Amino acid sequence: MKPATQDLAGGLVLLSIAAVALWQGADLSAGSLRQIGPGFMPRVLASVTALCGVVLCVSALMGRGAMMERWSVRGMLFVLVGMVAFAMTVRPLGLAVAGPLAVIISAFATHEARWREIMLFGIALTAACIVLFKVLLRLPVPLAPWLIGY
Amino acid sequence: MGDLGANLALGFTTALSFQNVFLCFMGCLIGTLVGVLPGVGPIATIAMLLPLTFNFDPTGALIMLAGIYYGAQYGGSTTAILVNMPGEATSVVTTLDGHQMARQGRAGIALGIAAIGSFFAGTVATFVIAALGVPLTRVALLFGPAEYFALMVLGLACAMVLARGSVLKAFAMIALGLLLATIGTDLETGEERLTFGIAELSDGIDFAVLAMGLFGIAEILRNFDLTIDARMVRSAIGRLLPSKADLKQSIWPILRGTGLGAILGILPGNGAVLGPFAAYTLEKKLAKDPSRFGRGAIEGVAGPESANNAGAQTAFIPLLTLGIPPNAVMALMVGAMTIHGIIPGPLVMTKSPQLFWGMVASMWIGNLMLLIINLPLIGLWVRLLKVPYRLLYPSILLFCCIGIYSLNNSVSDVLLTAIFGFVGYALYKCGFEPAPMVLGFVLGKLMEEKLRQALVLSRGNPMTFVERPVAAVLLLIAIAIVAIAVLPSVRRSRDEAFQG
Repeated sequence: MKPATQDLAGGLVLLSIAAVALWQGADLSAGSLRQIGPGFMPRVLASVTALCGVVLCVSALMGRGAMMERWSVRGMLFVLVGMVAFAMTVRPLGLAVAGPLAVIISAFATHEARWREIMLFGIALTAACIVLFKVLLRLPVPLAPWLIGY
Repeated sequence: MGDLGANLALGFTTALSFQNVFLCFMGCLIGTLVGVLPGVGPIATIAMLLPLTFNFDPTGALIMLAGIYYGAQYGGSTTAILVNMPGEATSVVTTLDGHQMARQGRAGIALGIAAIGSFFAGTVATFVIAALGVPLTRVALLFGPAEYFALMVLGLACAMVLARGSVLKAFAMIALGLLLATIGTDLETGEERLTFGIAELSDGIDFAVLAMGLFGIAEILRNFDLTIDARMVRSAIGRLLPSKADLKQSIWPILRGTGLGAILGILPGNGAVLGPFAAYTLEKKLAKDPSRFGRGAIEGVAGPESANNAGAQTAFIPLLTLGIPPNAVMALMVGAMTIHGIIPGPLVMTKSPQLFWGMVASMWIGNLMLLIINLPLIGLWVRLLKVPYRLLYPSILLFCCIGIYSLNNSVSDVLLTAIFGFVGYALYKCGFEPAPMVLGFVLGKLMEEKLRQALVLSRGNPMTFVERPVAAVLLLIAIAIVAIAVLPSVRRSRDEAFQG
């Protein structure tokens, strides 16, 4: 009998999250019913999560449930790296740099990305965002601190 | 009734001020603009656009936000009909017949009937909110912590039953959501909980960050699994105004959809999501020739779209009267209210009647605006949908990044959003639905607070939840709902309902 990989993975995810929560919350006092402490809810909830994880794993090992589908690893990596790049550059370098960077990196999540098109698009889109968010709405996003000081 | 008239009059004077009409208009317009983008549902739209409302007074900000919400909702239906891509669960049903109509060259009629049905449903729902607001607020003032706790348990029970897929997985997601809500500083003792010693986590996780990650970023990642072809967009829209025969066919579905949606929307625990499914199933059952459904039956658009909009609006009732957000959108509204120093709940109506009634009145104005701005602007939305997805998703991503950064001017919020994007994608791949988890997260803090208060009041006696009649009844209903849902026969029809 083949284990149902989707549910097995799901169960293991739940179990590991519960374990991390129990470990992190180990020092918190649970208190008493009269005066519930800060550790009570995290511990109860982590235990419930763990229990769900166990049930899922067992039923998956008995072959009930679906199989894991394919992941789009490339798409995921480029999009998430694009976001991280935005986060890392927006303060020191401003939206003028972080914007095109996020657009260009994330665009390579698909095979269809073309350098020229995406460079131009990234710059144009950032310009539009600057007009919308900085000029019209005056949101406090840094623009280009290295060039104009804000 | 005199009261209702006076209240609505106050509401309309507030909502019809030049500034508020303008904000409502802008909200509807921008909301539709972003909501039309494929894969961006109302939740991601609101989370993204939340910073736009920071500069205005509370009433104006909430009116604009509500406008964004209706706009996003309507934009989602447009995408569902034209590209066969539902932005969120509630427009899934619209794709069934709406997109078929579009393929037959009747896209305009489908959009038109959706707009008309939504407007009618919105009008009715506005009056339902106005009529139920005062009495429900009175009930809410009688609620103690035990009753509040029981009501939230009921809400979570509903969310569990209403989620797609296995009940066990939904239950696990609720527990996980509640667990995530405990991250941060404990309100009573000030101790840091589950923060891994990271200073940025000591205030807990911002709901907009969680929602944006799970519904915005994860949705982009999920879309890489599908092939999205811009050529799928139907460019021939055709006539927008339905013919007499179309209208005649749609009147009853609109009425039934409105009724169903309005009632389900009031339920705590995201009842609104059930409305379109229920309306579609009902229309299919009542139809003389059910085989027309799925092949472009206009009733299959009119009913669910009306239910969708009615539910979207009556979902405000638990929030405005009890202070309990029934779904993720309403939780974002709580976030917006808190930013402006308003604590949602029964006191809003008595303390700031202008805000309450202004918002109710603006709902109707917003619905009217959607009808007026959308019919002529359809061409623009179509052109937007024709932008290839390879350029659309980086744009969505950049808006998300700017929106999240601007919320608290925080770099770590952007990183956390990326993490939740990954988590959302991973959970989806493991067959988990994010909706119950989000509701758990939303209610988590309040639930823990009420549980603690209730136990302090009863001197540590857990029987307080059973001895107080209202709390006991609410808990009994919750248990009954879950028990019924796991019965094999109900489970089967639930699965069928979700498959449409």
